[in-house]
Amino acid sequence: MADTGMLAMPPSRGEYSRKVSIVGVGETDYAKDYQAERKRPEGWEPPTIDDLCKLAFDRAVADAGINPASIDALALHYTFGGPDPEEMTRHLGISPEKAWVNGHIFAGPLPNIAGRIMGGEAKTVAMLFGIGNRSSGRQFGGNTYSSGMAGPSSYYYYHPWGWSSQAAHWAIMATRYFEKFGKREEDLGHVPMTVRQHAGMNNNAIMRAPFTIDEYMASRYIVRPLHLYDICLVNDGAVCLIVTTAERARDTAKVPVDVAGWSESYITQDKMRVMVDERLRPQIQAAGQEALAMAGLSIDDIGHFEGYDVASIHLVNQLEGFGFTPDGTGIDFAIDGQMTLGGRIPTNIAGGNMSANYMQGWGQVPEIVRQLRGEGGERQIAGLNASLSAMTQTDCVHPVIYTRGE
Amino acid sequence: MAEKRPPRTTGPGNDEFWQGCAKGELLIQKCGKCGHRPWPVVQACEQCGSDALMFEEVSGKGKLASWCTFERPYYGELMPVPYDTIVVELDEGPWFIANPLGFSNSEAQLGMPVKVSFIDCEDTQGAFKLPVFEKA
Repeated sequence: MADTGMLAMPPSRGEYSRKVSIVGVGETDYAKDYQAERKRPEGWEPPTIDDLCKLAFDRAVADAGINPASIDALALHYTFGGPDPEEMTRHLGISPEKAWVNGHIFAGPLPNIAGRIMGGEAKTVAMLFGIGNRSSGRQFGGNTYSSGMAGPSSYYYYHPWGWSSQAAHWAIMATRYFEKFGKREEDLGHVPMTVRQHAGMNNNAIMRAPFTIDEYMASRYIVRPLHLYDICLVNDGAVCLIVTTAERARDTAKVPVDVAGWSESYITQDKMRVMVDERLRPQIQAAGQEALAMAGLSIDDIGHFEGYDVASIHLVNQLEGFGFTPDGTGIDFAIDGQMTLGGRIPTNIAGGNMSANYMQGWGQVPEIVRQLRGEGGERQIAGLNASLSAMTQTDCVHPVIYTRGE
Repeated sequence: MAEKRPPRTTGPGNDEFWQGCAKGELLIQKCGKCGHRPWPVVQACEQCGSDALMFEEVSGKGKLASWCTFERPYYGELMPVPYDTIVVELDEGPWFIANPLGFSNSEAQLGMPVKVSFIDCEDTQGAFKLPVFEKA
């Protein structure tokens, strides 16, 4: 079976809620690595997946304040390949009892590992994601792009019409949204502009300089009507999460962040219509409600959202789909300041995929952990108890709910 | 003269689709069990799982559901930018990605009636007819 990165998840049952916690997070120097790749000074070599993973791992272990010898399983997640478990454990300087290569994008790995911990397969797991997206010159469209899946995929099927790329998916959603709800490009621009303002509060965000709506309108198009600023970054990096039983997490140095709920939902037919016309609303609603029910929370309890802003319009889709604002009102919600500090739901508060880093969903988690611990600094959301992340692609959604541990 | 285009998807099911285009017929699969019309080509019905799929000519009529304009040369010289693509909601249900013929996206309006036309194209596998849409 093709490795689609979608991992088997334990069912969204209340009895599985808050049984597993995140106790440590580590990330690489996204901004520094990105600038180096752009300048390519003499003798520059792109960082290897090994070294990126090692840095994220060391930082996560230090963050958790644990002895690395207590890690009894390593879970490796690579989108475009990386060292095998034996090589990586040697590189990290640990000798866990178990090591798994376990999917790639953030569509299910945390619930999957939670299930393994609950099932007694391991007590403390280091989950590592590493990607060399940018230094490898990867393009997300064009002739050579194939998803590698057996069935027809929207990523390559429409080549004869010149239609491919991730950005094109978001562009046809945006056009229809504009037409249907009477919005314009300059209205949508408030969404990436707000996320960029958030990045200004994050030293490790790749793009931190604020822009105005005039500058947004003057920026080049990627796929019209979407501008450069509407589309996520492409960068190299790694993320490490240290995950353990909720019980053990209570003995660590910092406030544990409990994995409280999860779910998933897929478009099963008429993908183009559901994607463009409904903007995955049925899937986002269904998965969101199930994850909330598992966590024993309502959407009103969620005080922070890290959405998959692979494109600005898709963040609007998620704000509306999860129920933070009614259908067709997401852009107005952003213009009204409701997705920033002091608004209804501070969203992608560290700069998201459009301005901070693009780690295929994994980049959402470290910020959630920082926020729930109260380590958000100038971007801290006051009185936060519950956060929501969502890996939302063109045809599926994987929300996870996290709560501040006692 | 035939326009050079990026490659078609060919193989079981897809070959029937392109053979239809060659005759000026837009063929879309229909499930013999549940009546669902999947597009693009599938090997089993995405609604009921049946493999009793047959190709049936559709009217070629529809309305504009969305559009976008490519500004990045993903296909190099094969598709010089900018160029327009459209999404057509066919009267029979499926949403079909294509190019506009005889109009540009600047004139596009949601729900605008369109009808299929076939243009001469060529890819790495040879000459073929590509379905595109003009104002109805």
